[in-house]
Amino acid sequence: MQLRRTNLSIAGYKIRLQSEWSKLISLEESYKPFCLSTKNISADVVVHSYSEIPSRLLKPLDLLFEARNNGQTFFSIYRQGLSYKFFIYDQKKINKIQQVAILDDDLCKWDVYSKPQNQNGEIFPLLYPLGPLVLYYLTVKSDAVMMHASGIFDGEKGRLFTGFSGAGKSTMAYLWQKSGAKIINDDRLIIRKEKGDYVMYNTPMMYVDIPKRAPLNSIHLIKHASENSMEKIGGAAAVSQLMAFCIQHNFNSSFIERHLTFISELCNQIPIYKTGFVPKSEIIDFIKSYAD
Amino acid sequence: MNTIELFNKKSHFATRLVGEELILVPLTDRIADMNELFTLNEVGSFIWDNIDGKNNEEDIANAIVDNFEVDIDIARKDVAAFIQKLSEMIANC
Repeated sequence: MQLRRTNLSIAGYKIRLQSEWSKLISLEESYKPFCLSTKNISADVVVHSYSEIPSRLLKPLDLLFEARNNGQTFFSIYRQGLSYKFFIYDQKKINKIQQVAILDDDLCKWDVYSKPQNQNGEIFPLLYPLGPLVLYYLTVKSDAVMMHASGIFDGEKGRLFTGFSGAGKSTMAYLWQKSGAKIINDDRLIIRKEKGDYVMYNTPMMYVDIPKRAPLNSIHLIKHASENSMEKIGGAAAVSQLMAFCIQHNFNSSFIERHLTFISELCNQIPIYKTGFVPKSEIIDFIKSYAD
Repeated sequence: MNTIELFNKKSHFATRLVGEELILVPLTDRIADMNELFTLNEVGSFIWDNIDGKNNEEDIANAIVDNFEVDIDIARKDVAAFIQKLSEMIANC
């Protein structure tokens, strides 16, 4: 049977999607700008897709981790031998499994079982939320973290803004955009260490955007305030506060330790600020006035 | 929880020493409320290290007195507060 392949590059990771299914693998529009024309790549991860979900895979076994919010389950992770088994839930229907995915123990290969999404028999292996999960487990096995944050590049420096929901991550990004800066992303970033330097990447979202990459020169833990303020922090306070905004599946101590090591080294090299801001253009020059 | 029960739960945390402070991150089976990250100062790290499956609260308080300039009443309060907070954190994981 012909093996169908599609290669992607997201956040510098090479991802090979393949299937023995006679129909082509389909991707959501937001993934298409990340497709590679190159046929042969050295893949960081292989996602092998299968049509249909065998009933033998629907036994839940030992629950390791579950992501739920307001009664809706996003995904559940179970131990299956040495591998991890994911139940991925349809986000439009309560408790309906849309995919079952098996991730091997060295985090290099996914087997994704999906029901065809339409009458043409198309399968979408990276259908939300599995796409971000594939990316998250790439960060776990490399020098990287995935973070709830916005990031901008003003032509000279890249700045990352993170904080709790409602803290102003998107607002801050759009203020910088009005001043001429480029938004890397306003919600989710992957930070990687490359040749000793830290860089930030966007990832496919619900909307279409091109792949973006920028150097990372400062990180701001932001909140709305009555006046602009910046306070540089370091040590355990910086590490623990930054960890709070990283995406983490903390059922495995080695995953946590890798993130802690990465964030600790990041905080030694990149300045971390607690930044209060008034959502007006003045915050741009205020931040620029601090030497990074 | 007593110190023996806490010792048996220490493997439920990942740790990282940053300067003289120790960060504890609990293992959990759900999306974590990371506001509850535990950052221990030098004395807190000392208490953590001395929860070794043998020492009870009084042993640890005495060890604090031997190693830091603090009287026994304050050491006992520090140990009791630490154990209560750690127990609450474990209960919420």
